[in-house]
Amino acid sequence: MPRISEIKLPDALVAAARAGDSAALEAVHAATAGALYTLLRRLVRRPAIAEELLQETFVDVLEHIGAYEGRCPLPAWIRALAVNRALMYLRSPWHRGLEWLDKDPGGPDRLPAAVFESHAPLDAGLERALMTLPALSRAVVWLHDVEGFTHAEIGIALGRTPSFSKSQLARAHRRLRELLAGDAPLAEVTP
Amino acid sequence: MNADLNDWGGRLGALADFEPPAENWQAVLAARAARESQSVRRWPVVLAAATLAVTVALAAWLQSAQRELAAGTARPATALAVAAGARAESERLERLLARLPERRAMRGSTAFTVAELEDRLALLDDRLSRVSLEPNAPERAERLWRERVDVLHSLVQVRYADAVGIY
Repeated sequence: MPRISEIKLPDALVAAARAGDSAALEAVHAATAGALYTLLRRLVRRPAIAEELLQETFVDVLEHIGAYEGRCPLPAWIRALAVNRALMYLRSPWHRGLEWLDKDPGGPDRLPAAVFESHAPLDAGLERALMTLPALSRAVVWLHDVEGFTHAEIGIALGRTPSFSKSQLARAHRRLRELLAGDAPLAEVTP
Repeated sequence: MNADLNDWGGRLGALADFEPPAENWQAVLAARAARESQSVRRWPVVLAAATLAVTVALAAWLQSAQRELAAGTARPATALAVAAGARAESERLERLLARLPERRAMRGSTAFTVAELEDRLALLDDRLSRVSLEPNAPERAERLWRERVDVLHSLVQVRYADAVGIY
């Protein structure tokens, strides 16, 4: 599945969507929902939350499509809405409460096994390592390394400085390396 | 950007994708309809809640101002006979006045009364500033302070009635 930034939509479809054409908006949804859902799953981990955020993102699209001025590709604009929604969620007290519930002090993560499932055995270690990072660190890693956000853009999205993004990324990479260095037992850790 | 970061991007980007939920578009349309109906229902509730909050706050404040005013008028007249007592009462009423809401648009007759009372206060303040030079200064000061307190009481009552008008 392509990344959202790689999705190309025909100009006519974008124009119709901007005009509020419901069939066009549905087609835009069909073209982008998969990539957006993967992005949201990487950011918020929990499938139910990611589904809700995906739904809310497209409700935002329906309500604010008139504000899209075409300065960037439509999928990138929708991605910005989704990232904004996800970061709002990650900063919410509700999410902080869940994070606390997910962790035993010093113990393994208690998220359900489905959260860590991966189709390729070689990915399992990296998938698990990624998901054990703190939420904001994981968001910085994914947005920077995969989605191609700059540190300045991440800083703005998080309400922090670019330096914060840089230091988070450096720490997260170090942590990922540490987790992957003990790769063999990772697949056996009880989720 | 070093090779290590590029490597992370490649490895993370190669992780398996997740399948989006089925029927998501229908859920989006339903969620939008729900949000719209919530928003339509919410406005009267928000307005009613805001009106209620303002009303309760204003009513509580007016009640406390009225109690304060009543406490002042219930004082024995002998307490006001002393200039120091009248001065303290004067300060209390000024504090009370400062707490009364200012109306940008006031009825003409009310505005005239307020202006007249404020002029009288200014005149009394002018006399009080020179009273120490007069031969019977203590008695004159006491009379002026009592008069000032009376004017302030009138001013508070007018402004209070005006505040009730807002309410």
